[in-house]
Amino acid sequence: METPTALQNVLYMPRTFATTESNKTGAWRFLRPRYEEKTSPCGAACPAGEDIARIEMLITQGAFKEAWETILMENPLPGVCGRVCYHPCEGRCNRREFDAAVAIHSLERFLADAAARNETKPALPRQPAAGRRIAIIGAGPAGLSAAWFLNILGYETDIFEAMPAAGGMTRWGIPAYRLPEAALSAEIARIEAQGVRIHTGETVTAARFEEMRKSYDALFLGCGHWRGLSLDIPGATGVGVEEGLSFLRDIRGGVRRDIPGVSAVIGGGNTAIDVARTIIRRGGRAIIVYRRRREDMPAFAEETRSAQEEGVELRELLAPVRIDAAAGGCVLTLQPMTVVGQDQDGRGKIVPAAAAPVRIAAQRVFTAAGAGTAAPWHEPPASGASGAVLALSHCVLLQDDRGAPVVYGGDLAARDKNVTQAIASGKQAALALDVLFRHGVGSVRERLASCVVGHGPALSLEIYLGGPRRERNAHIVTYEEINADYFQYEPRLVQPRLLIEERHSSFDEIELKISAHTAMREAGRCFHCGICNNCDNCYLFCPDVAILRARDMTDRHIDYDYCKGCGLCVVECPRNAMTLEEETP
Amino acid sequence: MQLEAMDRELMCSGHVGCPGCGATIAMRFALKTLGEKTIMVLPACCWSVIAGPFPQSSLKIPVIHTAFETGGATASGVRAALDMRGDEETTVVVWAGDGGTFDIGFQALSGAVERNENFIYICYDNEAYMNTGIQRSSSTPYGAWTTTTSGSDWKKLRKKNIVEALVAHRIPYAATANIAYPEDLVRKVRKARETKGSRFLHIYASCPTGWRIPAEMSVRIARMAVQTNIFPLYEVENGIDYTINVKPREYLVREYFKLQGRFRHLSEEDLDQIQGMVNEDWERLLRKAGERA
Repeated sequence: METPTALQNVLYMPRTFATTESNKTGAWRFLRPRYEEKTSPCGAACPAGEDIARIEMLITQGAFKEAWETILMENPLPGVCGRVCYHPCEGRCNRREFDAAVAIHSLERFLADAAARNETKPALPRQPAAGRRIAIIGAGPAGLSAAWFLNILGYETDIFEAMPAAGGMTRWGIPAYRLPEAALSAEIARIEAQGVRIHTGETVTAARFEEMRKSYDALFLGCGHWRGLSLDIPGATGVGVEEGLSFLRDIRGGVRRDIPGVSAVIGGGNTAIDVARTIIRRGGRAIIVYRRRREDMPAFAEETRSAQEEGVELRELLAPVRIDAAAGGCVLTLQPMTVVGQDQDGRGKIVPAAAAPVRIAAQRVFTAAGAGTAAPWHEPPASGASGAVLALSHCVLLQDDRGAPVVYGGDLAARDKNVTQAIASGKQAALALDVLFRHGVGSVRERLASCVVGHGPALSLEIYLGGPRRERNAHIVTYEEINADYFQYEPRLVQPRLLIEERHSSFDEIELKISAHTAMREAGRCFHCGICNNCDNCYLFCPDVAILRARDMTDRHIDYDYCKGCGLCVVECPRNAMTLEEETP
Repeated sequence: MQLEAMDRELMCSGHVGCPGCGATIAMRFALKTLGEKTIMVLPACCWSVIAGPFPQSSLKIPVIHTAFETGGATASGVRAALDMRGDEETTVVVWAGDGGTFDIGFQALSGAVERNENFIYICYDNEAYMNTGIQRSSSTPYGAWTTTTSGSDWKKLRKKNIVEALVAHRIPYAATANIAYPEDLVRKVRKARETKGSRFLHIYASCPTGWRIPAEMSVRIARMAVQTNIFPLYEVENGIDYTINVKPREYLVREYFKLQGRFRHLSEEDLDQIQGMVNEDWERLLRKAGERA
């Protein structure tokens, strides 16, 4: 072999000895790409503000614990919400426009069940002790949520619960076929293990409440709407008429009772549906009577559908007029109604139709016509006699000279009364109190506005604590901004369920478990709208070798010395986690 | 997509390719797969400029710049020299544009592959003489505007089917590839490297400047070329065995044409006619691949 010098002597060829890297081609650029994560529509639609796009990404990587902890940062009850939440997230999923929404609720439940089965302990950041004690009245979802977030924010929390066990409406108002006791108890046990003290069987009276305002630094009142409202018609309190909510509570409490024959249920909310489905399981027939149309019912559409599958009869546009005792039960007299236009909620506006009254004979009648507060002092004040009242989206904050500040939350203050809104209320209360103690009541509104997900109203604890999610643009990613070329059509998971025959005689949970494999595949359908999942398209397609990666391949940045601003990386990002802007000189 | 070879980088920043250049993306993918033990022969083409003026080079491998018509002949010589030195490890690659392959360099290419010379010939196809000012080539597709087929004189001849011309030489391996399908492209370059004899790759490389398209669209348009069947991805072994590698979504060709300024003048009738040509070619390919009787 010749030496290099010898080679040079015989080669009459110019040989390059420098790279092109001395040409700073970044000077050509008039558009500037940059990494910028955005907000997913599911996360913005979630009342609890869960970081769903990231949760699903972690599931695809098999990081179930991290995914579960990501939920717990925003929602202490994934096992409950994965079952009973009305999942507005799925209604906004961008995947709907491609094939079908991701089964977000099934994945949430999967994570909670997996954590409970493996007895996983969450590793969550806890703020330094604030040296303040907060009393929480009511261990329902609102109270549990307030306690959970206050605990993470460094407060000492005591929950006082009148009933013999915690859970509130999730324990006493939702039947076991939707939410099994074990799933609820596992969540409560975890909240207690985190340091929240729950005192069950302790009723807080008005007098004790005033006393607590002296002994605690703040109070959260989340005792819910427990008094079922009675109908204002003749016979509504007569023999054979029962109140739906207390009926559900008795059954959840272990009362063994058969309900044979025909029962009529008056109402169109979730309580009416649950009462009817409980009657079916206790050997009876149920007819739901509702004064508006099916599409106007406040009950979740899926629950109504399941009830009808199980044999519940639904009769619409019938307003109750009177209930009369009769041999073997009662007779319900109903006025047929008709729809004329819309009322201000967008529901059908109804007026009596020119038709003869309808009579239904039933062995008993259940009323499920809404609920109210158990005592007048539970009502949030409209304005303080001597102090400030701050009405937020999900709670009312009262600060006056009678003692510590009080937050009225949960059903007491929420416009939409359901578990997830109650969790949102508890979180809002916790963040509001933390702001109040640190910066004064005057800063509450502004500080809360700075930690909303997307355009609100959901709040994020991670954003409040200055986590990475704070960097995201509030812009909500649309389907048009997704590069659908990178996704394949794949059917949504088929949720395994009990057979209808199996449901008739049992309170066993209807929706069955899914496997880890199914969960990972379903999470793989997620577009992960607006967040980077390290797919590396930006790096691969860069014509100018101007994407630099960290050694562990998890972080990227753009080398603006060479980036010519072609914008390919932005267009080829499948999930809109990059932005192209005009270059400013 | 996570490809191990993709972490290797044998191309430098600071080259003078246009923003969004498809030919540079093609080069990056090819070099990542070929590795350092590669000698590249560059007949005149865009890449003669992108590879850098003396004394600079944008490639971290040896490159021989050569005359337009001599890609096949020069590569034959380089291969012979390496063989004399007993170097069987180094791969010789010709990297030529469509002008240097379809037109000016065709006789050298045809002669070399007829002798089954042991090198890889890669044509990155941007469908005209882009480097010299967008003059039409025999690769320019039916319907396209170029500076030599302007106004009402847009090109009314079909694009030469170069892969079929090479297949007719019964070479060991011939394939099409596309910058929008890196996994497929990388697999084909690797397969070519591991095959002996003459190997030919035809890589679709979009040209934002010459096609009158926004720079950021160059990969999207390349993907659309496959999804509309305008540029099917397939490979042919020993001149006989056809395999179609990507099943297209079969979008209408007008979806591809409407994105590009060079086709702006085409009427609905023209597009219908082009759709007919594309369908005909696709059917013929399906038959060759044994997917149609």
